[in-house]
Amino acid sequence: MKTRALMSLTALLGLAGCATTPKPPPDENAPPPAVPAQAAAPEPAPRPARPEAVPATPLRQPKPMEQVVLARPDSPIVSFRLVFHTGSVDDPKGKEGLTALTAQLMAEGGTQKLTASQLLEALYPMAAELDVFVDKEFTTLSGRVHKDFLTRFQDIFTDVLLAPRLDAAELERLRANAISDVENGLRSANDEALGKVALDALLYQGHPYAHFTGGTVQGLKAITLDDVKAHAQRVFTQDRLVIGLAGAVDDALAQALSARLSALPAKGAPRVELPAVPTTAGRTVIIQKPTLSTAVSMGFVSTIRRGDPDFFPVAFAMSNLGEHRQSIGVLFTELREKRGLNYGDYAYAEHFIESPGTTYNRTNIARTQQDMSLWIRPVVPINGVFATRGAVFFLDQMVKEGIPQERFELMRGFLQGYTRLWEQTDQRRLGYAIDGLFYGTPDFLEQYRQAMSKMTPQSVQEALRRRVQPEALNFAFVTEDAEGLAQMLRSGAPSPITYASPKPEELLTQDQRISSSKLPLRPEAIQVIPAQQFMEK
Amino acid sequence: MRRLLPLLLLLLGIALPAAAAPTPASDAFPYTLHTDTLPNGLTVVRVPYPSRGIIAYVTVVRVGSRNEVEPGRTGFAHFFEHMMFKGTKTHPEGERERILGNFGYDDNAFTTDDITLYYSYGPTAGLPQLIEIEADRFRNLEYSQPSFQTEALAVLGEYHKNAAAPFLKMEEELNAAAFTRHTYQHTTMGFYKDIQAMPQAYDYSRTFFERWYTPDNTLLFIIGDFDDAKVMELVRQHYGPWDRKAAHVSVPAEPPQKGPRTAHIDWPQPTQPRQVIAWRTPGAGTSPADAAIQTLLVDYLAGPTSPAYKTLVLDKQLVESIGSDYSEHRDPHLFTLTATLKDERHRDTVRKTLLQEVSRLAAGRVDAARLKAIQDHARYGALMALETPRDVGIQLGWYAGVTGSPDGFQRHLQSLPKVTPAQLSDFTKRYLTANKLILLSLTPKTDAQGGTK
Repeated sequence: MKTRALMSLTALLGLAGCATTPKPPPDENAPPPAVPAQAAAPEPAPRPARPEAVPATPLRQPKPMEQVVLARPDSPIVSFRLVFHTGSVDDPKGKEGLTALTAQLMAEGGTQKLTASQLLEALYPMAAELDVFVDKEFTTLSGRVHKDFLTRFQDIFTDVLLAPRLDAAELERLRANAISDVENGLRSANDEALGKVALDALLYQGHPYAHFTGGTVQGLKAITLDDVKAHAQRVFTQDRLVIGLAGAVDDALAQALSARLSALPAKGAPRVELPAVPTTAGRTVIIQKPTLSTAVSMGFVSTIRRGDPDFFPVAFAMSNLGEHRQSIGVLFTELREKRGLNYGDYAYAEHFIESPGTTYNRTNIARTQQDMSLWIRPVVPINGVFATRGAVFFLDQMVKEGIPQERFELMRGFLQGYTRLWEQTDQRRLGYAIDGLFYGTPDFLEQYRQAMSKMTPQSVQEALRRRVQPEALNFAFVTEDAEGLAQMLRSGAPSPITYASPKPEELLTQDQRISSSKLPLRPEAIQVIPAQQFMEK
Repeated sequence: MRRLLPLLLLLLGIALPAAAAPTPASDAFPYTLHTDTLPNGLTVVRVPYPSRGIIAYVTVVRVGSRNEVEPGRTGFAHFFEHMMFKGTKTHPEGERERILGNFGYDDNAFTTDDITLYYSYGPTAGLPQLIEIEADRFRNLEYSQPSFQTEALAVLGEYHKNAAAPFLKMEEELNAAAFTRHTYQHTTMGFYKDIQAMPQAYDYSRTFFERWYTPDNTLLFIIGDFDDAKVMELVRQHYGPWDRKAAHVSVPAEPPQKGPRTAHIDWPQPTQPRQVIAWRTPGAGTSPADAAIQTLLVDYLAGPTSPAYKTLVLDKQLVESIGSDYSEHRDPHLFTLTATLKDERHRDTVRKTLLQEVSRLAAGRVDAARLKAIQDHARYGALMALETPRDVGIQLGWYAGVTGSPDGFQRHLQSLPKVTPAQLSDFTKRYLTANKLILLSLTPKTDAQGGTK
């Protein structure tokens, strides 16, 4: 972990990208937007009702050990990407964190030939990367190495899976770290991440997605070495594996890797049957902890995922509202640039976890039941309710009024170019290709770009009206005065805002509408949880 | 006349380029640098990279929190980075987004103690527009007072975002203990009270721009797949008329440290106890050879194959992690060792173990094989890290900004394998001494309710 965001280059790339950009100034001479307020549009059809629950329509199942090979002879680097269809949904009840801890122990705890320390020594001079990432339904073991060391690395990389040491002392070390990640990291050191995990827990209450991927404190404490050994055999199996290879690779390498990995158990435990997720709306959770600010996340369980015809237009619209850490989004412009509320405000059409060192989503975090969300970075507590209302206001405006033609063209140009940046590394290209197998979306980004070329503001708005309902939102806050915030939310009282600098009349008028708008939350469904109790069990 | 002046300079720009011989690709850095210096002092580096229609456009200004010499104005270099997105007369606020947004550029920036680095990463097709709009903002930035005041609040939001974890506070306390006069005393974010007062500093912000945003204080890197002659023609056309000169503002020198120093933080929330051991060491700006030594020293003393890692992390499991926050600085800064402890009770043992490794090295006991492995790691690590034009641009820009030399990064990579065991030991003996030591400890204050206000 990097410690000083403003002093370390790596950390800067990963954490502290510091952006600004402009707001489009109101242009009184501009022509009226082509798809403007409802008055100018044809009478819209009544919105379809939101279903009571989102069923678990299973993802597609690639054949056991299906290979994805993206050879690039001009590169001296070989990328390995082993994606297992297992994640925290496979954690047994009372042993939350088992999948993550098992994967971590395999990746770090040494092999039968090498102790943990020897493993580090072997990888070190090659500067080889060997990482594991566990999400709700997928676990990715990735490796990168210069071709000078390919043979040696390939042996180690496969041994990690085939002959892990599963050492008791290493289990204790990694367990202690995992517990500390919850107690000291999640609960204490990152209000933004805490808000997001709290929203996950709220949306998926009672569902295997609900607990933190890294585990709960009591769950982690309950795990034994035998649990880990058995779990590895149940989930890291051929039938759950897709093998990705890219860069300086050839057929011989691909065959050799498959041959070695065929020593994995052929078949794992039966897949966990995910229940339908109720689409209950209007719930609020407030995590109470000492902090200078209020962090806000809001969202709902989505009725679509990749592969659905509405996915591309909705993804387009959510990027328009707030592409992650880009200044082009509506929320960024309205809440940060015009009003100075915070450091940034973003929106997501599917679950989003920032890929380290980038502003892009991770790959291989596919989910059977997706969520859509809005993220408001910390605001001063006095503006917490206003900022929340503001985000809902601009979401609602986009759904009701659509995206003006000029803005639509801008976003289309932006995403035609920006999506190319999502596939600039071998690991990311592999990631998209492998996700495509599970979602049934081959050539996903190219398909997205083609779909955009055919979209219109009308087609996007129709998809929005079918799939995005601001009244379906649920809310997660992290703040110190939790009771004060709860009372404010319950009362529904206006949340006026004042500024230290002059603002245009138009903005102040809009602020009045925002500050008295009704938040779609239910006063009886507001829950306060002290941070110290969060993800305890 | 005003219209003629740029034309005249443009002609001069074409007539008098100072082109250095290309810096060729090497095993350590497999790309070639083509460097020109315009008559106004702007250094322009082009790096061909097989990125299939993608470029990275990186501008580094040699200004950071180091340059914040006036009391009450800390954090300004970083704040100013935000203001650079606020437009000009030609391209008022919002237009940058419409022009660059249309191509899909990832458009961002960051500030450190020494540099401010801007990057745009996206399609080659947008380069002509990008060059024009970038040159325009560096020459002609203009923003209103209300816009300035609003942006100050976004900076405050950034501080709040960073304040939840202990790292910012630790950096603040360590810097305050280590520096009594030099501007490294404050962090890049700046003092909280100065950030809160930023909205009142509009006039100063104009001074800051005039003072530091000058061609002779700036380097431009263009990495990717593009037509070099056309790009240079556009660069000369648009940047040629930029004619300010960097101000001479001296940064106070830090007097020698006489005796060890300590600092302590009681953290009001649950967290792991932390220990930082720091020493004042030479900067990369003046002592590139010492920078190479310090880079290797990080892993020698606290890397994943170091004896301290094996003892403290793996065998005794007294700490979650050890490492270093060292990064290259222009002026003498700090070499640090850091530990995230599992329990307050082990603080002394952990500190002693780390210091014993330092003593062993200072006494001349160097593990040459491990040094060789670290040098191999550094070489392959650099190759692995240069995956996109953006990676290359940021690395080049960072080192160029700190060292003042456009090929600072290659020089650094080339000097790493030349460091000898004796040099590692000599450096340690000379700089990592008991009377130059600064110890920072952090202890969480935990109670049943999980912290206090």
